[in-house]
Amino acid sequence: MANLKDIQRQIKSVSNTQKTTRAMKLVSTAKLRRAEELAKRSRLYAAKMNQVIAEIAGRIKCNKVGGLDNRFFQKIENPKMVDIVFVTADKGLCGGFNIQTIKAIKKLIAEYEKQNVKVRLRGVGKKGIEFFKYNEVELFDSALGLSSKPEKKRSDEFIMSSVEDYSDGKIDALHIVYNGYKNIITQELHVNKILPVDSDQFDCNEVQNSMLEIEADDEEHVLTSLVNKYVEYNMYYSLIDSVAAEHSARMQAMDSATNNAKEMVKTLKVKYNKARQAAITTELIEIISGVESMK
Amino acid sequence: MEKLKLEIITPNGVIYNDYAVSVVLPGEEGEFGVLAHHASLTTLLEAGVIDIEKEDKSVESILINWGVVQVDEKKVIVLVEGAVAIRGENDGAIATALEDAKKLIRDIADSNPAIAAVSARIESAAQRLL
Repeated sequence: MANLKDIQRQIKSVSNTQKTTRAMKLVSTAKLRRAEELAKRSRLYAAKMNQVIAEIAGRIKCNKVGGLDNRFFQKIENPKMVDIVFVTADKGLCGGFNIQTIKAIKKLIAEYEKQNVKVRLRGVGKKGIEFFKYNEVELFDSALGLSSKPEKKRSDEFIMSSVEDYSDGKIDALHIVYNGYKNIITQELHVNKILPVDSDQFDCNEVQNSMLEIEADDEEHVLTSLVNKYVEYNMYYSLIDSVAAEHSARMQAMDSATNNAKEMVKTLKVKYNKARQAAITTELIEIISGVESMK
Repeated sequence: MEKLKLEIITPNGVIYNDYAVSVVLPGEEGEFGVLAHHASLTTLLEAGVIDIEKEDKSVESILINWGVVQVDEKKVIVLVEGAVAIRGENDGAIATALEDAKKLIRDIADSNPAIAAVSARIESAAQRLL
């Protein structure tokens, strides 16, 4: 019977898919372990770096040290142009990982457009770049291959052009949007405002007791090179955090795909057996009725 | 003698997290030593060697390529980009550390005139251990 064959073919194709998804899950698990390790080791450095910068920003705000004229720490009223750097994966098949990032970017763009601020998009990762190209949103700059294989040097070069534009006054803010790793089953969306360094949450009263000295004559140099490193490292950390998150998302997506395929095979098998039994019954009835008619 | 808490953090993790008696850091304006109760300061470090005097009087040297240090009364936090600790259980391990250190120096832009001095410093630090 044709129906039986059809079902059999379906079962075969679904179990083949299941094999693929299971293999992909295993690959992601192995890759995740490495990426997770890297992200974990860097997390402390990134956190301390942000802490140092935040403290300096706070002190500048509270007039404890100079640097008020440093553009990196100034609060810019009425921004005209902002850079949004986003990090997505180069590959799909990782559930809502990329689309979550894209949604956050769209939200951020909409917010800025409401205030009549121009947005320059700079993308890392094929999926996000493809999305915005397809939707005819202009990308100012893009980098392929950087999100699956983060390289410090390339990431530095990529982000530094934004920092230069910022210090030249071409742009007034810099955001990095990426989906980061929280734990093996959750990803955490980060929309980080990198520049200007945010000092809003800093309480001036707390600073009073401790002092901080930056040599006055090279304050400009100290702050600039510190900010450069801070931005560079934030970019690099976004990349490695995003890789870890991507693998964890893919692992999960592939896990549920495997389970889903398993379910499908099960229902198809039931269907197949029913059809087989129906066929046997029909055949039996045919034989019996044949015998009956001969009587 | 009073101790200070020293943390040296690199992008690859913490390489030193212990008490020390004193620490000498290669600041951009020149080397400076830090003891407990040092006044707070934040400054940049250039390529050079961090010498840590531990409680048992032994000295450990760590080569760095760039860093920023945050000193306050009780603790010293050093953030460095690349670092090699010149230490090891045996001669072989020390030799490997020395090789790594030399490689790190080569990776730093060669325009820096202080490099030769740094190179000599790590050699002598390794000699001390051998």
